[in-house]
Amino acid sequence: MVGVLGAFAELDGATGAIEEIKREGFTDFDVYSPTIRHELEHAVHPPQSKVRVFTLVGGLLGVTFGYWMAIWSSEYWPLVVGGKAIASWIPYTIIGFEVMILVGGLSTVAAIFILGGLPRLTRTIGYDPRFSGGDYGVFVRCNADRAESVESIFRSHGAGEVRRER
Amino acid sequence: MSTTSGSSGLKRREFLKVLGATGAAAGTVGCSSDSVERLIPYLNHPDQTVPGVSNYYATTCRECAAGCGVIAEVRDGRAIKLEGNPAHPLNQGAICSKGQAALQGLYNPDRFRGPMMREGERLVPITWDRALQELNTRLDQAGPALANGVFINQHESGSFPVVLDQWLATRGIPGHLSYDADLNLGTIAAHRQAYGVAWPTIDFTQARLIVSVGADFLDDWGAAVPQQLNFADARAQLQNAPRFVYVGPRRSLTGLNADQWIPCRPGSELAIMQALGGTGTASIAQAAEAAGVEPTLLQGLADELRGAGRSMILAGTRGADAMEVALAAAALNQALGNVGVTILPGSPATAFERAASYADVRGVVEQMASGQVPVFFVRGANPAFTTPPALGFAAAMARVPFKVSFSSYPDETTLLCDLILPDHHALESWGDAQPVPGLIGLQQPTMDPVFNTRPTADLLLLLTGGGALSAAPLAISGATSPGVEVPGAAALGSQVVPAPAPGAVTTTPREHLYRDWLIGRIPGGAAALTSALQTGLIAGNVGQSAAAVRPAPAPVAALPAIAQTEGDFFFHIYPSPLLGTGSGANKPWLQELADPVSKIAWQTWIEIHPTRAWDMGIDNGDLVTITTGTGSVTAPAYLYLGIHPDTVAMPLGRGHTAYGRYAAGIGVNPLIAVPAAEDAQSGGLAYSVTKCRVTKTGGFDDLVTTEGSARQHGRGIAQAMTVAELMAPVTDDHGHDIPGVPSYEPLPGLRSPVAADAQGELADPDSKDKGMYDPQHWSKMASRRWAMTIDLARCTGCSACVTACYAENNIPTVGAPWQGRATSPLTWDERPGANIVKGREMTWIRIERYFEGGEDYGSNFDTRFAPMLCQHCGNAPCEPVCPVYATYHSPDGLNVQVYNRCVGTRYCSNNCPYKVRYFNWFGYGEPNRRQYAFPEPLNWQLNPDVTVRGKGVMEKCTFCVQRIREAEHRAVAEGRLVEADEFTTACAQACPSRAIVFGDAADATWSVAQLATDRRAYHVFGDLSTYTAVVYLKSIIHPGPATPVQA
Amino acid sequence: MATIARPYSDPAGQRPNVPSADIQLPAVKSYEQVDEEIIGTLRPTGKWFLGLGLAIFCMLIGAAAWTYQIYWGLGQAGYEPPVMWGVYIITFVFWVGIGHAGTLISAILYLFRAGFRTTIYRAAEAMTVFAVLTAGLFPIIHIGRPWKFFWLIPYPNWRLLWPQFKSPLVWDVFAISTYLTISTTFLYIGLIPDIAVLRDRETNPVRRQIFAVLSLGWRNSEREWRHFARAYLFLAAFSTPLVLSVHSVVSFDFAMALTPGWHATIFPPYFVAGAIFSGFAMVWTIIIPIRKWWNLQHYVTLNHLDATAKVVLFTSLVVGSAYFIEFFIAWYSNVPVEQEYFWNRVFGQWWWAAWIMLTCNMILPMSLFSQKLRRNPTWLFILSLFINLGMWFERFVIVVPSLSHEFEPWQWSDYAPSWVDMSFLIGSFGWFFMWFLLFIKQLPVVAIAEVKEIIPPKLRGTVDSHGASAHGGH
Repeated sequence: MVGVLGAFAELDGATGAIEEIKREGFTDFDVYSPTIRHELEHAVHPPQSKVRVFTLVGGLLGVTFGYWMAIWSSEYWPLVVGGKAIASWIPYTIIGFEVMILVGGLSTVAAIFILGGLPRLTRTIGYDPRFSGGDYGVFVRCNADRAESVESIFRSHGAGEVRRER
Repeated sequence: MSTTSGSSGLKRREFLKVLGATGAAAGTVGCSSDSVERLIPYLNHPDQTVPGVSNYYATTCRECAAGCGVIAEVRDGRAIKLEGNPAHPLNQGAICSKGQAALQGLYNPDRFRGPMMREGERLVPITWDRALQELNTRLDQAGPALANGVFINQHESGSFPVVLDQWLATRGIPGHLSYDADLNLGTIAAHRQAYGVAWPTIDFTQARLIVSVGADFLDDWGAAVPQQLNFADARAQLQNAPRFVYVGPRRSLTGLNADQWIPCRPGSELAIMQALGGTGTASIAQAAEAAGVEPTLLQGLADELRGAGRSMILAGTRGADAMEVALAAAALNQALGNVGVTILPGSPATAFERAASYADVRGVVEQMASGQVPVFFVRGANPAFTTPPALGFAAAMARVPFKVSFSSYPDETTLLCDLILPDHHALESWGDAQPVPGLIGLQQPTMDPVFNTRPTADLLLLLTGGGALSAAPLAISGATSPGVEVPGAAALGSQVVPAPAPGAVTTTPREHLYRDWLIGRIPGGAAALTSALQTGLIAGNVGQSAAAVRPAPAPVAALPAIAQTEGDFFFHIYPSPLLGTGSGANKPWLQELADPVSKIAWQTWIEIHPTRAWDMGIDNGDLVTITTGTGSVTAPAYLYLGIHPDTVAMPLGRGHTAYGRYAAGIGVNPLIAVPAAEDAQSGGLAYSVTKCRVTKTGGFDDLVTTEGSARQHGRGIAQAMTVAELMAPVTDDHGHDIPGVPSYEPLPGLRSPVAADAQGELADPDSKDKGMYDPQHWSKMASRRWAMTIDLARCTGCSACVTACYAENNIPTVGAPWQGRATSPLTWDERPGANIVKGREMTWIRIERYFEGGEDYGSNFDTRFAPMLCQHCGNAPCEPVCPVYATYHSPDGLNVQVYNRCVGTRYCSNNCPYKVRYFNWFGYGEPNRRQYAFPEPLNWQLNPDVTVRGKGVMEKCTFCVQRIREAEHRAVAEGRLVEADEFTTACAQACPSRAIVFGDAADATWSVAQLATDRRAYHVFGDLSTYTAVVYLKSIIHPGPATPVQA
Repeated sequence: MATIARPYSDPAGQRPNVPSADIQLPAVKSYEQVDEEIIGTLRPTGKWFLGLGLAIFCMLIGAAAWTYQIYWGLGQAGYEPPVMWGVYIITFVFWVGIGHAGTLISAILYLFRAGFRTTIYRAAEAMTVFAVLTAGLFPIIHIGRPWKFFWLIPYPNWRLLWPQFKSPLVWDVFAISTYLTISTTFLYIGLIPDIAVLRDRETNPVRRQIFAVLSLGWRNSEREWRHFARAYLFLAAFSTPLVLSVHSVVSFDFAMALTPGWHATIFPPYFVAGAIFSGFAMVWTIIIPIRKWWNLQHYVTLNHLDATAKVVLFTSLVVGSAYFIEFFIAWYSNVPVEQEYFWNRVFGQWWWAAWIMLTCNMILPMSLFSQKLRRNPTWLFILSLFINLGMWFERFVIVVPSLSHEFEPWQWSDYAPSWVDMSFLIGSFGWFFMWFLLFIKQLPVVAIAEVKEIIPPKLRGTVDSHGASAHGGH
């Protein structure tokens, strides 16, 4: 017995269920939604996402590397073109900028994977295909003796289906 | 010892390239696009030949009668470059385009591989033994009839005519005809009558006024190179330079160099001369009437002549009265006291002595037509093409039972012959020339024969068992040996070595009959010859052989004066300054080289005045038909400001029906429309003798021109100043007046190190003084700044520099009919010059010809010539845009192009204000492509020091970097620094005007450094701050009383 | 995703996930309907196969031309020195420009919270990726030795030979490759939830497995959504300067040169505006037939088209004024070379090209001042074709006349594309539409998850849910 899964057709049903479950002291639960609903985020009230850190670090690494590559390679093999300085900062800004975007962007994507726990290639319990369709879902991890109360909470908020995952 | 060119067919690499690229993975394959070359070292090391090191042989140029001295650079047994012989008093190191193109005659892919004999319609190869046997038997059969035999030889001075006539004598054949269609016989005859010599020396430097009446002394009138040297020196006297007035129906290259042009109708020159001289009947008014010009112009000229003091009048018309005009000119010279001052009969040229006239050829034709001639020999000359078809030379030849040609090329005359005994090229054989009295130019083999040919002289000696001729050799009189010193020897880089270099395999026996015969003539014998060959000169005289003894041809019925003939335009024909009357047409360099006047290549055009053309609805490129009583020719129209409105003009030289792949079927031959007329007095062929009807044919043919716009649009590319401006005092930076011709600060961009150079005053050396750019670097490379000055007051636009560049830098010619692009998946653009129509010529240096003034389409316009090449900018716009460092600024100031690194984005060319970068659109260097530019054995001429560029890369002028490095390496090897003016570039070396000077502008001891500070110095597009290394010196305008000033 | 992930209770009272009135989808009632209708579009039809075949055929023409050109050399193209750049560079800039609308719509309009992007952004983004994919080929096609193009990329090699980083062409390499990477990632990230939808609706086990892998096991959990929204925001924040920089860098190819007609500081903004202009036109060319053939009119409503039309009108005005500023500066600069060049551009040798450009890019779009026409899909489609033509000619006018009429009068020339050039032009369209057609039948061309976001959620009706404001609003 892992936990109880409730599927809600209505948004406010799901939010209500979540709030009550939290009141009941349940902390270990997942919430599913076909799309972003801030009502849910508000109900769950999670901590601030860490993606920003990845983005910042990636961007800084990128711009540094971009400048360094351009300057080092020019200095390594010094050739004068058009009478310009061998290492010209101003044009190299473009290189720095583009590499910043590249590395920053890719590390942001990495953030989704790491923080969001992707990719997840194994089927996991506590999920139902309709959560990508029309329904909202709440899955509470609990043992059998507390399952009853969870089920009742779900039903009281008009859960379309309540099922125990085992 | 043969370099193997890439195998034919689709090579694996190329296949991969194609495959990969189409798979959108082009980058991962085709690691190298270079074809593999094999190098085979010598087993037995031949004398004086070090692989990769050039030998230099002094010899004599036989491309025209002048007989300039040349130095042949020979690498590993192959002649790769011809340069003027600095020791030769005639051309003093200069050389013209024709002379340099001799190499493409030597390596011409269409030369006969060996003797040929006619079997039915075909010519089949035979052995030399069989050929000589055939010759002997046929001559024996002819027997006494040989008294009517004919031998037409190219006109040349020296010993060969002597030995030839001796041989003919042994066979009872009359003396040969020494025929050169390019010669201006009218002038020669007049000279002989007036001065007693065929060609007096003409000293332009002494004159204050030059009047030329159709005498194109910069094109083909007389010995072009020496005259051009002298003329350029005269013009370089700036304020003391002679003013130059040109009178003629068309502004030739010579005419474009004149300060004033007085247009006249063809045939009116005599009246003008008489009017000028006040002799004869014609008054100024009548002359002006006949000429179709303003009387004031002629009056002005007449007055000028009176007041000019030292002057010269030169006449070189090609009408039926050519000799009369020349005589009138001579008379005028005598009257004005020019003889002995500017015209020097005392030191004549002997090159033109003994030249047979066109009338002689006509006599031969009549003789042949009558069927009396048993045997006909031809060598070098091509009368079947250079005489008007109306004369019927070919038809008459057909009546001759046995026709022998010694020509090495399948030209029109030779293809009519029964037996072909191909001669060596002049660069493969011994000989001598006598351009001026007391001077013998020696001619020696520079390499082993390319093909199975044999020198005619050897054959003649062989046929007579050698004995009969060498029995009585004519000694060279007054010989002193060895010849003059070689000031240029150092500049040549290695001493001149006699004796042929080993190299290409030959099948001919190594016989030197003629050499030994020559040695017999020379006091001092072999030793004297060997030492003389160091300079290629001997002081002395060659005894002339007796002139041809043959019945003088009956005089022709004189044609009506040109003005009386029927037609609405005067028809003017002139020999091309590059192709002559056709001998140059089989040399791709000369076909590709744009005509100095019209800038058209690979094509024959019809020059017509814009005003008249527009009246008839004709514009550039419209096909126009010219019809005379004799025939009609059709060619595209070229609207030319420099032609008399009543005249249309066509160049000779093209329209061959044979003569090899580069000549046959290209252009049209205007002689088709010319009646066979001659100047009754001199016996010269008369070109301008008829009027013609001009009709618009309706078709259109793109002009194969290298010209974009003929106007400068005030952009100051070719600048000029009047004498007045030159002499006006200017104020220097400190407010002092600088009188006369002061020197200036060097223009920006001519300093070193490169940092300061590249950024001028704004230089931040720290940002660039790295590696070899550091002035402290051991190589001291950064202390030099290679630069060039081009004196526009000297430049005549002759374009010899262009050919020199082609020869030195392996530049491909792209105009041949098979080198074009596909116009559809199945069809190709096979017009001659198709690539040039698309602007794809590869001229690293080009001569831009701009017109100034003449907006009213009048005769009063000025012409500016500007040689344009890579300016090697200090702030080169082409460099920073290259994504792969394929072009950058070298520490010694060169704008370097790295072919192997170039990926071909062509951004550099887009960003080049001077448009001097050229792209390899096709695989011009790939033997298995139809665009291949060097078909065997033309590729033997390629300079081993310069790579042949692959397709898809950019190329441009390198300032002959291979010569720079060679000089530097030589200096290092000799433990010294490169000396001032120790070497120069190919263009500067060739320039017959000495307009181009190359050297280190950062070192004041080089002459370029002094010239660069001349008051006339300027940069093209200086306001772009490119800080170029090429400095132009303004040309000088000499306005006359008749011409308004225009700068 | 049309939402900014930020605290739900917004003092400004703005509710980003509540669509403004003009882009509601009244005809879309429920999440299930969205799934059904969008997934319904993925069924291949005969018309589609026909189109795909045509596209592949055109692509093969281009491939054949490339083989031919590599074998013989670039001379087979119509280049006429000094016109060293021609159809290839023109087409390159053309496709890069097209490639700008997608990122603009998905990133910039996202930051601006322009709701009308929701239903069209997926198509536009796919268009972007494939347009850049097409554009990226042309620099390689155009260089003399394509098998050496990798020398422009800073790859480690034992000689330590590197690209010349001062060259705008190297900037191009960086800009284009970065842009391709980021926009592809952006497209894919946005696709993940939709792929999850496909996965869960798919009956065919094989396809189901494929979708399962592609969706990376997306579970629509609140945790995933949270980071997802955050990351999407940052990606958008990166893409915005990127999309502006890319076409600026492309414009540097010209602006950095001293060629008259190229050497202009106005080029970056001028090019970006032109890019957006042409990009939106291409979006019309693509989306208008799709919405008609697949009956998506109630997703891509006239309101959406109206909104995009306003953007097109605006950019058209920007581009038009840029043209005039160019002429003004040429006159004001008093540089004869510039003046002659511009005169020659409009009244000389190249008048016809210039007037095609002015007509298609300035005059015709003026019609969009009329709301009637803005809401007329047929007209917008026709107009989009004209704008595509006009923008191709804008690049032609920039590239060719400038090069043909430079400083050196002696080297003035003409230019005419050859049959090889034209084959590449056809091939590029084939290549682009091949990818696009393959895309729209495999993956939803309208973003399912985002559409769900702007339609009101089901409610029990008891609580005062903020979603409710979607109906009456208050």
